[in-house]
Amino acid sequence: AMEGRCAVETWTEFGFLGTSTTPKVRFGTDVFICTGNDEVYVFSTHERKLKASNCFSVKDDLPLCCVSFSLNMTFHSCRAQSSSPDSSSIPAELKISEFLVIEADGVSSLLLVGTVLLTLSQRDSSWLMTLYKTPEQTESSSYEVLGSFSLPLVSAVVQADTESKTSVLICLHCGDTAPLTLPHGHFCLEPVLFKLLFGVEAALAKSPVILCGLPDGRLCFLPLRLPGARLRVLHSIEQPVVFVGASVVTETGPGHSQCLVAMGEQGRVVLIKTEKGRSEDGSSLAGFTEGIVSGPVQCGCLDRNCLYYSTGSDLLLLDLSEGSSGKESKERVEETSRKTLQSPTSLNVSRVVALAEPTSNTSVQLLGLSVRGQLQRISLPARRKDAGLSKLPSAQVGRSIRDLLSAIGDVCERSSVLKTAIKSKNQILRHLNQVVNISFLLTATNNTEDDPAIKEKPIRCHAMTSWSRLLQKDCLNLTCVLDNSSPFVLERGWTLSVTVFPLCCSSTAGEEISSANFSFPFQNLNSGETLEVLLPIAAAGDSSFPMTVNCSLIFSLSSLLGEQEAASSNISLPLNTLTVDWLNALQLNSPTARHKMVTFQPGSITTDPIQAFISSRQIRCSGRADRGAESGSRPEKYSASVRVSSELLKDSLVLKNSNLDPKISLSSLTVHACGPNGATVKLTAKKVGIVFSDELEVQVESSSMTAVCGLHHAVLSRIQVQTHTHTVRLNTIFREVQQNQISGALGVGMTAGQMNPGLLSVYQELRQNPLLII
Amino acid sequence: MSHKMSQPPSLLNKWIQENNELVNKWKQQEKGRDTVRQDHNQPHLKWCSYEFHKLLGIIQGIPPNSDYTQLELAVVYNAGVCATAQAQFSEAELFLTQAAERVLQVTGGETGASDPLVCWRAVLKSVENTHLHPSVLYLVCLQWAIWLATCQLKTIQEFQEEMPSLFETLCGGVGDGAISEARSKSSNIPLMVMDPRRLIELLQICTSIALGAERLTEGQSSEALTGLQAASSLPAPRALVGYTHLLSGSCLTHMRRPQMALQCYRKALETDSRCVCALYQSMLIYRQLGNTQAEIQALRLLHSTLMLPSATDPALASTHLLSPSSLLCSQSLSSLLSVPSALSVLHSLALKCLLCGRVSEGVEHYLDLLAVLHSEDQQGLHTQDATIPRLPELYLEAGAALLMARRPADCLALCSEVISTTLELLPEKVVLEEPEERREAETRDTEGENRVAMVLWTAAAYLLQGHCHSHLKDWKQAVTHYTRCINLLVKVRLKKRDFQPQFSSADMDVQRGKDLCVLQKLKGLSLAGRGISFTQTDKLKEALRDLQLSLQAFPGIFLCTYRNLSLALCWTQQSSATEYRNLVLPSQPGDKKRMPCHLMNRINFLHPVKRNPLSQQTWINRESKLEHVLRVHSV
Repeated sequence: AMEGRCAVETWTEFGFLGTSTTPKVRFGTDVFICTGNDEVYVFSTHERKLKASNCFSVKDDLPLCCVSFSLNMTFHSCRAQSSSPDSSSIPAELKISEFLVIEADGVSSLLLVGTVLLTLSQRDSSWLMTLYKTPEQTESSSYEVLGSFSLPLVSAVVQADTESKTSVLICLHCGDTAPLTLPHGHFCLEPVLFKLLFGVEAALAKSPVILCGLPDGRLCFLPLRLPGARLRVLHSIEQPVVFVGASVVTETGPGHSQCLVAMGEQGRVVLIKTEKGRSEDGSSLAGFTEGIVSGPVQCGCLDRNCLYYSTGSDLLLLDLSEGSSGKESKERVEETSRKTLQSPTSLNVSRVVALAEPTSNTSVQLLGLSVRGQLQRISLPARRKDAGLSKLPSAQVGRSIRDLLSAIGDVCERSSVLKTAIKSKNQILRHLNQVVNISFLLTATNNTEDDPAIKEKPIRCHAMTSWSRLLQKDCLNLTCVLDNSSPFVLERGWTLSVTVFPLCCSSTAGEEISSANFSFPFQNLNSGETLEVLLPIAAAGDSSFPMTVNCSLIFSLSSLLGEQEAASSNISLPLNTLTVDWLNALQLNSPTARHKMVTFQPGSITTDPIQAFISSRQIRCSGRADRGAESGSRPEKYSASVRVSSELLKDSLVLKNSNLDPKISLSSLTVHACGPNGATVKLTAKKVGIVFSDELEVQVESSSMTAVCGLHHAVLSRIQVQTHTHTVRLNTIFREVQQNQISGALGVGMTAGQMNPGLLSVYQELRQNPLLII
Repeated sequence: MSHKMSQPPSLLNKWIQENNELVNKWKQQEKGRDTVRQDHNQPHLKWCSYEFHKLLGIIQGIPPNSDYTQLELAVVYNAGVCATAQAQFSEAELFLTQAAERVLQVTGGETGASDPLVCWRAVLKSVENTHLHPSVLYLVCLQWAIWLATCQLKTIQEFQEEMPSLFETLCGGVGDGAISEARSKSSNIPLMVMDPRRLIELLQICTSIALGAERLTEGQSSEALTGLQAASSLPAPRALVGYTHLLSGSCLTHMRRPQMALQCYRKALETDSRCVCALYQSMLIYRQLGNTQAEIQALRLLHSTLMLPSATDPALASTHLLSPSSLLCSQSLSSLLSVPSALSVLHSLALKCLLCGRVSEGVEHYLDLLAVLHSEDQQGLHTQDATIPRLPELYLEAGAALLMARRPADCLALCSEVISTTLELLPEKVVLEEPEERREAETRDTEGENRVAMVLWTAAAYLLQGHCHSHLKDWKQAVTHYTRCINLLVKVRLKKRDFQPQFSSADMDVQRGKDLCVLQKLKGLSLAGRGISFTQTDKLKEALRDLQLSLQAFPGIFLCTYRNLSLALCWTQQSSATEYRNLVLPSQPGDKKRMPCHLMNRINFLHPVKRNPLSQQTWINRESKLEHVLRVHSV
């Protein structure tokens, strides 16, 4: 139940115990209490004392039926003719008119709307609402009848059941047109609900609407200022209406009531609210939500979102705002509202027969009148910010807290998941940006392939070969070094792919190209870093040299985006192509090598065969002619030679393409080595110097034809690469020479002295870069 | 009788004094409050009635005695009059039957007759030629009054036929004025609260009026006329004489003699200047005769008369205890005398002015009407006659009037008020039922809001706004508002399409399918309006499309545009010569003198004059006004 108890403070006691009729009470700054027979008390809530009593007494046979008060505190009584009041005891602001203003039988309630006084009375066969024009001066007695509206009684049976002929009259104003301060019994209704209930005409006429609750349970309404209006039935709760009011419920509008509440004697409650989009055509409807609380209801009052009612034995609180929380479906609304209506909260105050709405805004305070005649102020325990929770039973509170906590957990989890997702997406984006940059970089250099020497790819591979012995078997390994000299980082997802295949495949054999593919995924390669991978390219005895090594970088999108998003779409960026030729594959440290003239360190394995090659000196390639002459003493039956300038040879050694260290010795050398097919080879380089002094002859000698051919090809192809650059240079020289000749031929004014230095320089240049002819 | 005088006279005198005191008190009260309305005499009357009843109880406490009989009869008369004045007829009749029995006991007549006619005959016979005769006659008068007040005209007629002599006696100076005057001077003669001569005068003329009304309702106009014309010369309050003239006029109207009826109504007005019903009836005759100027004049007079403060008082307010209004309460008479409320009259006046071209005057009346509706003063609003259109329609009519008076800004404001009221409640789609299933009366009475009406109101408001904007030459805005109108109208689905409005037939039942008719007309008007707006913005393709659609929706509207020469030129320029030929040329009136079709339509709509002409097809009228606006605009 509710935490804390209601504080009940008794202000005064009137002592009208056990009167048969319910007392009439009008709350406000002054509380007017009519005991039902002959006395009216006035109590000031500010001064907290009785201002006047017995100020109004009537004859016994004409019981005072109902009282109402206008703004100027005129006291209207229906069936009473007052005796002269004791003027000394009446407060100054309270003037009680001594005359009978209206004589009408069976008036059950009164309401003052502006200058119009409304009475509701029961006639033989109908309910009659009569409108009177109140005079401007209070002293005048002319209450002019403006009109009257009647509504037939339902049946005599219903009427017989209702002993108490009390009815309720309230006045409803439409949203914006309502006056700023609403007197007692006036409410300002939210415009859409107003129009739905009472029609657009009433709204257009800016007419207040009178709503009356009858003892037969009907709720009737009358637009006050609408021509041709009639008293019509809005709804029926089928039991005497005890209370009708309007409540804000949800604090959306500026004080416009969203909910109309009617309460019957037997505890039937109807909430009337706007239900948006309920009807089949999508327009709003007025929704009537009915529920039953335990009766008998004696009185009730509303504050912003609560209905307070007294059953005589207890004062209860019904929260109306809960019903409006779930609006998803009609079932849900009904469910929640039913639940709401089934669990009113007890406030543990008994015997309250009249109630007034809370007077203060900070804490909920009710004014109540007990059956003993005690005027009480009932202060409800302070409600927490979340008003809905404080009124729930503790079990429900616990449950709802658990629900809330788990909901919070869910939300946290979801938010962290989302955060991670965002983070990873950002990562991926950054990553992709790098990838795009890199691919652009690599493809852009690809496109300008005209001059590969000038524009080298910032990411490229170098390679070195080495022999190693593994499981009694020699094999040639290639150490491939990926050099990232680009400003970008090669991140996770990149794979270095190295494809090795023979340069020339024997088409006659018809066998497949025996290519080998090696992939090296790597994690991170920062700018300036290198990655070294080792891969076997050939075993001893394999002679399918030279081999081409294609290096490329592969980026797999699936590794980045996940498999389902990028269906195996990879980005492949070719880097550079390396060639492993016979020279690279020579094995000097082979145990089969007979000559130990050349010692080598592991780091210079590729240099030594070159040096050996350079030192070899055999001019001719006529292997067949020499075979017979030299075969007796030597196993080398075939030989090939090439003449080359020492400078060119030097240059060819520093070709970046082959990654060879420029350790050269131009002294005459003879290298014995073992080829990959196991054949012994001899490389000789010696000075010949017939034409040019620095001319060298490189000779390859071997008993294996394959080895001689392979080595010869390797040497030639290296020199070819070098001559290619020389040719370019020569071309420019030739152009200059030609230019000079042409200018010489045409230039009449050009002296021979001017021409000679040009020719001289061309000549010198030609000399410095001697042409090599194979 | 003289031996009875030995009885203590003090008792008799005391009672007479008591009675006289009561009567004097009453008369004093009446004099003091003669300006105050009758309602406020009610408590006093009640008190008097109570006191007379008490006194009567005391008097009847002793056995019937001839010495007291005269006093008793006087007290019975007084108590009976008071009871009748409070409409407690059964109580009054009980007094009368008790008194009759006691008289018969005194005179030794035959008692026990249950039929009041038989009973009264016996009583009169028994008291013939005694001093009690006049007193008994007064009681018969009271009985007559009760019969009249309870509308038992048949009984009165029987009574008249059976005892014509009695009536002659009664009518020919029963009261014997001189004697009663002399009597009233003396203190030991019981006084009466109401002079019996006044009562008889009142009864005579009221009976004539009630009978006349009854006969008129039954269709016996000529019989009623003779009776009423005879009654018009009777001595009576002016208002009642006015009624006789008025009812004579009504008889003549039924006999199709409108000019003579007008004479009678004029006589009624001359007799009683507050006879608003006569004004109203003459207005109806002018309307029937097609005399618009006179009709407007009559409407204006009627309205100003109704607005007089005295008009709210009952016309037959009298200082007598028994007022003519309490005696004339028959249904047929009240329906004959019914006059629409001031508001309704004002509306009719405004509409009439507007329709006959007195636009500025009409606008003034409409503005007055709106002012009355929004005034805090509740006067005149609490009438239950439903003859003025529903409020949004009234707003729209006023808006149309304002537009016709070239006040588009005001029109826009009124329309936007209507739109803002209905906008939140507009359904997404709405079904227009088969015309036979819904009648005007039901539409008005349906619980909750009629969705179709709401859509039509809003659409009409948009249409008017479109007209306003095109009037202001703001074509873009005009297109916007016409489009809104069209968009709203297409939400209305027709449940049954077999009913096609036949606008050409003059005897078309406008009641049926009114909504459908309005819907089609609104469609036609809005499409035509948009079409015209499009031509102004050089979107001729769209214009042509809209105008063609308009022609499909409501053929009459299109005719408004054929006069637009520039439009026709546009079409020919647009090589739409065939369309022009197909659409425009057939609708050109061959005979220049012939009235354009849309005007004929309008006249057809305006034509029906019903029993209550004020409740005519205001919707249709308004639409024709809109049409008129459009026509004016497009030319």
